[in-house]
Amino acid sequence: MNAPVHAGLAATCLAVPLLLVGIGVNGAKAQLAANEASASSEPSVAIAAAADEGYCSADLKKVLRRVLQSCGLLSSGEVRGCQPLEAKSVATLAGSDFNALFLPLADRAGIIQFDKESAELDAGDLAMLDRTFADQRGASYFFVVSRSSPEGSEVYNRNLSQQRGEAVLSHLQATFKDADLNKEVGILWLGEEFAQLDQEFCSWQRSGSSEACQSQDLNRSAFVAWIDCRL
Amino acid sequence: MRPFTILFLVAAACGMFFAGMSTWDFIAHLDRDVHDVTCSFIPGLLASDTSASSGCHVTMMSPYSSVLRTTVWGGIPIALPGLAVFAFLMFRGLDLVFNRREDDKRATTFLLLATVLPALTSVVMGYLSMVELGAACKLCIGIYISSFVALAAAVGIRAQGVGEDMNGFGREFGLSFAEGTGFVLIPLLIYTIMSPDYSRFIGTCGTLPKPEDANGVLIGIGQQVSGKSAVEVFDPLCSACKGFEGRLNASGLATQVKRKAVLFPLDNSCNWMVSNTMHPGACMMSEAVLCADAKADEVIAWGFAHQEEILTAAKANPDSAKDMVVAAFPDLKECIGSPTVKSRLNKSLRYAVANQLPVLTPQLYVDNTKLCDADTDLGLDYALTRLLEAPVAAKENP
Repeated sequence: MNAPVHAGLAATCLAVPLLLVGIGVNGAKAQLAANEASASSEPSVAIAAAADEGYCSADLKKVLRRVLQSCGLLSSGEVRGCQPLEAKSVATLAGSDFNALFLPLADRAGIIQFDKESAELDAGDLAMLDRTFADQRGASYFFVVSRSSPEGSEVYNRNLSQQRGEAVLSHLQATFKDADLNKEVGILWLGEEFAQLDQEFCSWQRSGSSEACQSQDLNRSAFVAWIDCRL
Repeated sequence: MRPFTILFLVAAACGMFFAGMSTWDFIAHLDRDVHDVTCSFIPGLLASDTSASSGCHVTMMSPYSSVLRTTVWGGIPIALPGLAVFAFLMFRGLDLVFNRREDDKRATTFLLLATVLPALTSVVMGYLSMVELGAACKLCIGIYISSFVALAAAVGIRAQGVGEDMNGFGREFGLSFAEGTGFVLIPLLIYTIMSPDYSRFIGTCGTLPKPEDANGVLIGIGQQVSGKSAVEVFDPLCSACKGFEGRLNASGLATQVKRKAVLFPLDNSCNWMVSNTMHPGACMMSEAVLCADAKADEVIAWGFAHQEEILTAAKANPDSAKDMVVAAFPDLKECIGSPTVKSRLNKSLRYAVANQLPVLTPQLYVDNTKLCDADTDLGLDYALTRLLEAPVAAKENP
């Protein structure tokens, strides 16, 4: 055996994997360094965030912020719901504010219609409330605006409205056991002295009989809706 | 030069070519980026594989494509020793020609024995590929064929040799074996030494700012044993999640983490963060996983096994995913689609919002520290081992 030929052949053949490793790994190292150098501080993929739908205009957010602050949802979360008197400053804007906040939500909102002088939720009410609350999507805030129709005294109606709002909240707390409920759900219980829903809302999703859509039917209610705005 | 010798040299050259291409593809991934994989018997003439789901890609990302994965990032590609063995066979074949040893029984016997190694390895790797992975890689098939042709040619070379002198075969065998060992070990050593240091990336890809599960949306998955806690951002109909699960189990590291999944379906029927539904039916499947709760692993395994069927059916009819999962798990019928589970799935998505997670699956956070996305495939064993070995993050005092 010719040893130099043997060694020469060995070196030549061994050079193939060595060259491939050398060139390949060095190339990858250079690319790695280039990737690091070009890495932008901006994330290359989207970051998870709450929804902020197109209807969330600056004006609407201004109204929303005011209502949320009234209900304590933007502070420490210690306030649960809005007292009617506290809400009065909100409700004095009721016509425009209410419309600004809720009219864009025709497809998202539900109107729970209570029986006369009752704050009890029947099976139809519960089904609609569950369905509406479960359809949160990316929304950050859930409003319950409870009302009463003008029959009876103002104090009686205010209490009835409060009971209706609290019935909704109690059900949500019991059913969904949501740790974020206090940061998400705002209740406005409005008595007869505040803006009343008109029959424009008859076409909205409602519980109860579809025929029962006189003004008094609509206002024996709790209006529930998720708001898809981010503040 | 005899015909069998020519055939042997051609087979060795083909083996070097296919193993070299495979090694080259693997090495390209050392930049931690995503690359096409050569998926052709004639590399360069046909387009590379960009699907990330072909047999070529599945094979490369499988635990069988490399060894020593916890020591070297990505491991040492199994194709590299393959290349070295074929280079050695080429050397031995040329040596027969240039040193006129085609009639030397000692040389041709050793050559025959040397070709048994790649042939046996091909049998084992072919079995793993077809049976364990259910996938075939064209470069691998090229290597297998080269191995068997080389073996057949070596048998022919030995049979045609006229010499019978086997004196000193033991010494010949010992020296040649040492040469062969050197052919394999030297490239492996050089590869290991030259590999970049990836440890600097560990733990630099983010953390969970709000890991607390106040709404109880995290679902225990995998083998719950002692070890560090991990949160996996997960879509039951995401093929990358399925691949990740397979790699995690194959790594043996799955038993060292207490994993919980945060469901994050890339399906805009429930997830407002995606504009297009990437995985139709994923919301329904996620609800099924939440409904199954303690049996979540069964539902997930079923979903992985039927992933393509579910996606295809749900694309045509969104409700079909529910029909399929209910047919397999009838006790989930009432729960799937209920307001309670829809709300729970929403809370799961909001967990992602609270933690400002990238809209991406899968993601794994070990002890609240993210396993970098670039380390979820080839670098999984290396990076996860180091995350698991890292000291437990100190809890902040309230």
